[in-house]
Amino acid sequence: MSPDTLTLVTGAGGFIGGWVAETLYLRGEPVRAGVHSWSGAARPARFCMDIVPCNIMNPAELDEAMQGVSQVIHCAKGSDESIAQGTQNVLEAAYRHGVQRFLHVSTTEVFGQQSGRIDETFPCQSMQDPYADNKIQAENVCWEYHSKGLPMVILRPPIVYGPFSKTFTVNLAYKLLAGNWGIFKGAADGLCNLIYISDLVDGILLAAKSDLAPGQVFILNGPEQPTWNEYFERFNDALDLPPLKVYESQGIGFKTRLMEPLRDSIKFARNRFERFIKLVAARQRQARRIMKFVETRMKTTPRVHDLKLYGRRATYLSGKARHMLGYQPVVDLEEGLQMSVQWLDQIGMRNFRYTKGAR
Amino acid sequence: MTRSKVPHIALIGCGAIAEEYYLPALASLPEIMENLILVDENPSRLDKLSAKYPVRRKVRDYREVQNEADGVIIALPTGLHALVGVEFLSRGIPVLCEKPLAEDAARARILIEMAHQKETELVVNYLQRIIPHFAMVKQLLASKTFGSPLKMEYVIGEIFNWPTVSGFYFKSDPSTRGILRDRGAHAVDHICWWLGGKPTVISSCNDSFGGSEAVAHVEFERDSCKGKLVMSWFADVPCRFSIECEKATIEGEIYDYQKLIISENGRKREMIVESPIHTKLDVAREIASNFVAVIQKEERPLVCGSDVLESIEFTDEAYEKARLMNMPWYRFEEVQDVA
Repeated sequence: MSPDTLTLVTGAGGFIGGWVAETLYLRGEPVRAGVHSWSGAARPARFCMDIVPCNIMNPAELDEAMQGVSQVIHCAKGSDESIAQGTQNVLEAAYRHGVQRFLHVSTTEVFGQQSGRIDETFPCQSMQDPYADNKIQAENVCWEYHSKGLPMVILRPPIVYGPFSKTFTVNLAYKLLAGNWGIFKGAADGLCNLIYISDLVDGILLAAKSDLAPGQVFILNGPEQPTWNEYFERFNDALDLPPLKVYESQGIGFKTRLMEPLRDSIKFARNRFERFIKLVAARQRQARRIMKFVETRMKTTPRVHDLKLYGRRATYLSGKARHMLGYQPVVDLEEGLQMSVQWLDQIGMRNFRYTKGAR
Repeated sequence: MTRSKVPHIALIGCGAIAEEYYLPALASLPEIMENLILVDENPSRLDKLSAKYPVRRKVRDYREVQNEADGVIIALPTGLHALVGVEFLSRGIPVLCEKPLAEDAARARILIEMAHQKETELVVNYLQRIIPHFAMVKQLLASKTFGSPLKMEYVIGEIFNWPTVSGFYFKSDPSTRGILRDRGAHAVDHICWWLGGKPTVISSCNDSFGGSEAVAHVEFERDSCKGKLVMSWFADVPCRFSIECEKATIEGEIYDYQKLIISENGRKREMIVESPIHTKLDVAREIASNFVAVIQKEERPLVCGSDVLESIEFTDEAYEKARLMNMPWYRFEEVQDVA
């Protein structure tokens, strides 16, 4: 790719897309930040960069966003249902506009529940999870377009953390600060394949420049694989919190199974009666207290899906990326957590101590 | 104007704030709705909103209503408030302006001066002053119930999810945007109002690389009180304030409108502020009906332009003194070049 290559980053209002767009901008490379809607533009708008509405379910917006673009780094996810269709829409627009390289950010979740040392030769495997299954389907569509002549690179990161991460930084910090999280003995002893965000971005941008990359899949993993319990403990220490409680696996399994139908019912009610629920919460003090209590409990109890992830004993190998792209992750867990906590402080997460049930 | 005449109000700007806030509030005043004029240059917005809220008519150019409106609500991007506001005020037409009143204090002064000259009213939607627990804090501080304030902390952390139609926050002139100017308008107004005037900005930093900042920290001081404002658009964190006074500490959650926590002599107690105002829509209805009464010369504005001028001056000062935050997660050499 020439230095003048204009790169469209989809999902630039999100965690990974935001980082990719910012890094390209800070390196002085031409970049266009595609955001789902203007309300998602707060992050890229801090830079004087080209921002365009780019809802992956809206072909007209994609067509507009694709003008003059030579390379696409597709980080937008959308809802589970729109992952595959949205990816197809982006691919179609890129193909029609003669894009020279398409990088699709996928996930190691496509390997399903396989354990052991896993590299790119392992097959994708469904685990009846909508996110992972749709990601597999999205990869399949990518290969269809590759065979049509759109040069494709697929990148599979595992657990990405760091500043701006919602799932593995903000949400986990919330659980830890709320004091309801812990060490789940026997239930979270699987391997946590962590990659710090800037290492992932380095890997993506190496793949964007390498002549060897098109037609390849790369796993991009970080330098350390602690267990999930170790990750919780080290994050808790970095937040300077009292030691975590230890929960036995039977107890946490029971609590998780108990909470799951309640979680589904609440989600259902919230989707249908959000306005009414908000109104009740605003007018009834006692109802508000109960809702807050339930919400905190829900947020701080692992889901069935989480326990599957926490128990998985898989190591994702990024030897291929190292050899072919020169990829070398450099941020260890200590440094990554230090950055994450500094960022959490900056956004006000620790300015007030959380109390149980209060938010 | 007499009570018998129902005022003709023009709602200028049919973006998200009109749809989510003003129209639902005005809908509780059927006579006003029947005479409402919607103004927006985008015909699809006019069609969408008029389909939901039957109004008297809809026009694309605000100049068409200059001889017709008895009062106007300005719900336009901030950069247009002063420009459009002056046109109506100069004709003696009362204006209700969405917050922030203007993009800087100089423009706010022009609006205030024009209203004064023409002996008309400039009402501003700094709605949070009428929210019960904020008003109670003002009362407690003004009466020195717990002595003078010594330390104030104010934290707002919420993911930006306002369904902005125009995206003006993120694509207009950098001087008109960012969390401090936008969401901060309320927070800064509280701080100035509670402390009885504009504090001095001691330090200010944000994460703007030339665009609109999404995180801002401001440290300030007024008399014996030092304070810190922390704002972010990146995650939902507890939005709270805390004011340490000589004899007690007052704490509150931004969105729990009727409760304060008072810590005194080592004990905490809840202070419940009874009020019919529970939701933003309740506040919007108060603002809308007050504006109607202001047009009819039956009430004074709940909040007028000059009330909030100091908060805009404070914001200007915070922007003037702002430096780039320390963000070690960006590589230093890259950040240096851009900053």
